[in-house]
Amino acid sequence: MVEIVLENVAKRFGPISVIEGLNLTMRDNEFTVLVGPSGCGKSTTLRMIAGLEDVSDGEIYINGKPVSHLEPKERDIAMVFQDYALYPHMNVARNMSFALRLAHYDRAEIARRIEQVADMLGIRELLGRKPRELSGGQRQRVAMGRALVRDASTFLFDEPLSNLDAKLRTQMRAELALMRQRIRKNMIYVTHDQIEAMTLGDRIIVMSKGKIMQAGTPEELFKRPANKFVAGFIGSPSMNFFDAELASNDGPLAVVGDGFSLGLPLDAAGRLKAHRGRPITIGIRPTAFQVVADGQSAENAIRAPVVVSEYIGSNSIVMSEIGHTQVTIDIGSDAPIAVGESVQVRVAPEAIYLFDPATERVL
Amino acid sequence: MAKRRKNSDLGLIGYYALLIALSLVCLGPILLMLTTSLQLKTQIFDDKAHFLFMPTVSNYVAVFEQEHLARYLTNSLMVGLISTAVTLVVGCMAAYALVRFRFMGRDTVSVATLLLRMVPPAVLVVPVFMIWTYDFDLSNTLSGVILVYIALNLPFVVWILQSFIEQVPNQLEEAARMDGANPLQTFFLVVLPVIRPGLAAAAIFTFRIAWNEFILALVLTNRFTRTMPVMVSLYITEHNIEWGQIMAVGTLIAIPPLIFTFIASKQIITGLTAGAVKG
Repeated sequence: MVEIVLENVAKRFGPISVIEGLNLTMRDNEFTVLVGPSGCGKSTTLRMIAGLEDVSDGEIYINGKPVSHLEPKERDIAMVFQDYALYPHMNVARNMSFALRLAHYDRAEIARRIEQVADMLGIRELLGRKPRELSGGQRQRVAMGRALVRDASTFLFDEPLSNLDAKLRTQMRAELALMRQRIRKNMIYVTHDQIEAMTLGDRIIVMSKGKIMQAGTPEELFKRPANKFVAGFIGSPSMNFFDAELASNDGPLAVVGDGFSLGLPLDAAGRLKAHRGRPITIGIRPTAFQVVADGQSAENAIRAPVVVSEYIGSNSIVMSEIGHTQVTIDIGSDAPIAVGESVQVRVAPEAIYLFDPATERVL
Repeated sequence: MAKRRKNSDLGLIGYYALLIALSLVCLGPILLMLTTSLQLKTQIFDDKAHFLFMPTVSNYVAVFEQEHLARYLTNSLMVGLISTAVTLVVGCMAAYALVRFRFMGRDTVSVATLLLRMVPPAVLVVPVFMIWTYDFDLSNTLSGVILVYIALNLPFVVWILQSFIEQVPNQLEEAARMDGANPLQTFFLVVLPVIRPGLAAAAIFTFRIAWNEFILALVLTNRFTRTMPVMVSLYITEHNIEWGQIMAVGTLIAIPPLIFTFIASKQIITGLTAGAVKG
């Protein structure tokens, strides 16, 4: 039972404040993903949990015990680094056993653990090799092996897949997910890739500019984003945003923008009362557009001229311009769409997200 | 096309001419030393140059019959090896501190190490002799010579090792920290093995200087603590200059640094950090 709690944690480098008042609880056996654009403080947060970075303010608790003054080795934490950080002068087996040798485990136990982990990761035949004789994927596996043999209570991953090529990354991601099922441990994983976050995380913490924007399960983040940042960050291709105005009280509940007018679900009337007649930001996911056959009239329909068309096969990603806003539309049809054509699309009222333009919070 | 070919041929000829000239400059004195050491006095002092001659080992025999040879050789080896070892140990720690730790005056120290290296040893002779003799009571001892060589070599070793340590990725040390290594273990088990090529280069350099140094050794030693280079000067007497034996000792002196360099250069494997971290 290991619970990690961050309480009002702050990090400053000289006068520059990187993280301010971070509160976070990571429950036992949870795979937590910290995700956000580069420079959002996710890696710094991880390094503070690891003990590689001092905490400027606040406290980190592991199992109720304050640890912010403890050395990394006293925290029972293992870490996988972005650049692998394998010891170049040691072979794979010695790389993996380094921590155990430092802790004076006996030889038989070290050998047993290395074999077990090597089998699990499929790197048994690599044990005698030096890091320079390994491919990128193999190095990555060894780096994970080095963390796993320690059998620590918590594993930290600092963008472990970002140095791999696209194909290998997908493969390693699947392997990580598989490994996750076998090892029930606390895992904290930092990435800037929202797909990695969505596929691996039990819970995702979206960060931006040193603050937590939202924490929740992948489904919560996708379906009920708390603000414009999360809505735009989660989901690929990312959500389209339009500046619009909410129709005033005497009209029907609708948003009117440059080149479109869309009706909203009636049950939203209550919470939107204060915003009637005022500017509003609306968000629509690329997949929320449905193609309507020409000539057929439909509610909430928009005509979208095709500017760029990326035909993927099972679907097409179409760039269009509605009013003066660039829009991405994911069309789930295997028929290619030519540039210069225009498509008529409709949006279900429930699929429209509304944001306060000032606070960027969802309405 | 043909013209281009001709140009590159000319370039190649020039290139090799330069190489031959340079190797003559390097090898010429060694060749001269070697041939002279194998000649009799009459041949050495003859007006005509002898390119073809019957070699003799009489000079070497005379050198080996010198009763103190073993002692001077031992002195030289001790001075060379001990000063190299101490310089490396102190130098790598100093370099590590200069690279990794932030403290006041760090940059000044870093630059000062190099400035010290620019002082020619001859300038040090008088002050070192005075201090060693009257303050430290170290004159005529091997410790005195060793100490001066350490002081002489340390700045360069610190400077050369700094650049090697800078190339050790920080993540490697952080990984060691996560694995439970304390700072000393991180340094000795992770950093030092990674900078082994730098240590080897520094060792070659230090040993060569300590082995070959003449003027400070001449001033700081007596007939018991002489080193090999000082021994050479004994063949210049008021009656005679024994060129043959001087060259024979010179040839013998050149051998240990050669052996040392071959052993140490085995450690210089480029790209030792390859595979540690990406890019």
